[in-house]
Amino acid sequence: MAPGPFGIDPLIWAALRLIIAVALAIGLIMGGSLLLIYLERKIQAVMQDRIGPYHVGPFGLLQTFADALKLIAKEDLRASQTDAAFFIAAPALVFSPMLASLVVLPFAPPIVGADLNIGLLYLTTLGSMGVLGIVIAGWASNNKYSLMGGLRSAGQLISYEVPQILSLVTAVLVIGSLSMVKITESQPGPITNFFVIPLAFVTYFIAALAETNRTPFDLPEAESELVAGYLTEYSGMRWGTMLALTEYGNVTIVCGIMSAVWFGGWNGPGVDTVPILGLIWFTLKTYAFILVFMWVRATLPRLRIDQLMSFCWKILIPTTLLDLSATAVLLIAFPGTLVPVAIANWILLGAFVVGLPMLQQRRLRHIRERLRARTLGAVAAS
Amino acid sequence: MLDVIEPIVFGLLSLMILGSGLGVVLSGRITTSALLMAFTFLNMAGMFVLLGAETIAAFQILIYVGAITVLILYGVMFTPQAPRAYGLFFQKQTPAGAVLAALAALPVMAVGFAFRDSGTLPPRGGDLRPLATSVFTDFAFPFEVASVLLLAAMVGAIVLVKRDR
Repeated sequence: MAPGPFGIDPLIWAALRLIIAVALAIGLIMGGSLLLIYLERKIQAVMQDRIGPYHVGPFGLLQTFADALKLIAKEDLRASQTDAAFFIAAPALVFSPMLASLVVLPFAPPIVGADLNIGLLYLTTLGSMGVLGIVIAGWASNNKYSLMGGLRSAGQLISYEVPQILSLVTAVLVIGSLSMVKITESQPGPITNFFVIPLAFVTYFIAALAETNRTPFDLPEAESELVAGYLTEYSGMRWGTMLALTEYGNVTIVCGIMSAVWFGGWNGPGVDTVPILGLIWFTLKTYAFILVFMWVRATLPRLRIDQLMSFCWKILIPTTLLDLSATAVLLIAFPGTLVPVAIANWILLGAFVVGLPMLQQRRLRHIRERLRARTLGAVAAS
Repeated sequence: MLDVIEPIVFGLLSLMILGSGLGVVLSGRITTSALLMAFTFLNMAGMFVLLGAETIAAFQILIYVGAITVLILYGVMFTPQAPRAYGLFFQKQTPAGAVLAALAALPVMAVGFAFRDSGTLPPRGGDLRPLATSVFTDFAFPFEVASVLLLAAMVGAIVLVKRDR
């Protein structure tokens, strides 16, 4: 074991290092959420031709601080018929896996919590643990809407985990490693993995939108049908932990994965001489994706639960499976070169982008014809 | 230094596995049992990490905590909660249960202590490649047979629940 700095005993340094790392991670999530909520409101305002928050502080920058203070100061409320232990445990069950994911994110060459050789697997594992907290939250609220909302959200998360993991497996096949550091180091040049496997990126992006409960998959916010899903009975900082902190934390982590796996993570001009510069590149790439998430939210309407499920199982999973098998076959058929994989992937991406609207149109035509036949039949019968 | 910490972590993990395992069996509410079962699986994953098998630990959490426990919770929540005697589910046959558990524990203990001083652990965190070779090369046929079996079970379940339109 390496001795600590300033001559600290290694045994104490190990514990101290852990405490510092966890404190930094919590600080990062909290600060990041504050910033992201502000950005979200401001960007949506710009896109909808409004001004957005501007009263508190310069440019309304302190608005989210005020909101967070209000949340923290709020009464710790719990409805009398809820299931006390589960109700309190659920926010922690959702929050802690998200926090633990930060361990393997490659921020910069000197800033990596732990270079696990199964880093990517570790991230997907923790991503799958949040589902448990959501189901428990819906159950513990002792409320029909919460239970339905929790089950719907859990079903959504479990379903979209499949294309998410399949896309990552496609990327791993090309890279040949699960360690986040090795994944980042494998793409130093301008030709990053995105240019080799663009379809896997697109499917991962869609699945990530669903995994983080963002529009067009944000069912808990479908207030007309589900009240607030599994969040209905939550208020104060429990709500803040579950919705604000966890959602924005997950968005940050998913975007970090995207930038590390497909866009070279910390790699950028000047990183070889000044390694700490990698932090800036990684942050820039991650925030670029977060901005796209917000753009999507300001643009697209919400999907219905059956549309959401059928899109995942009938379109996304077959596409990712096809992509995975094509990549695997081409990698074995042409060892040592990625050109055939890239060509096949771009063709598949084109087919996906062009074929999706065509399939949708055919389906709509089919539904309309059936409807017309039924009305005609009803008219003829009467 | 690691020699001091490892037994402590092992002791903590085994205590939590045994405690939550007992909780699964003894608790009177099925949701509590399911959650405690997830906790047991989590601690088992900790044991795998302690043995240097990180990949197996990750799959343990991914499959058992992330999928199977959630599936069980789904089953619980879709089951009608009509008032009924929970004694049907949680039989209180403590003496007979204790005797049976003791009888089952004896062979397990015998096998467990037989491994006491045998073998050396491979280096930590290098279990990804051995796992892959054993699943996809050495035991590829049994692995495929097992997946066909699972597929048959899944198709069977779909056929069973699918009603005629």
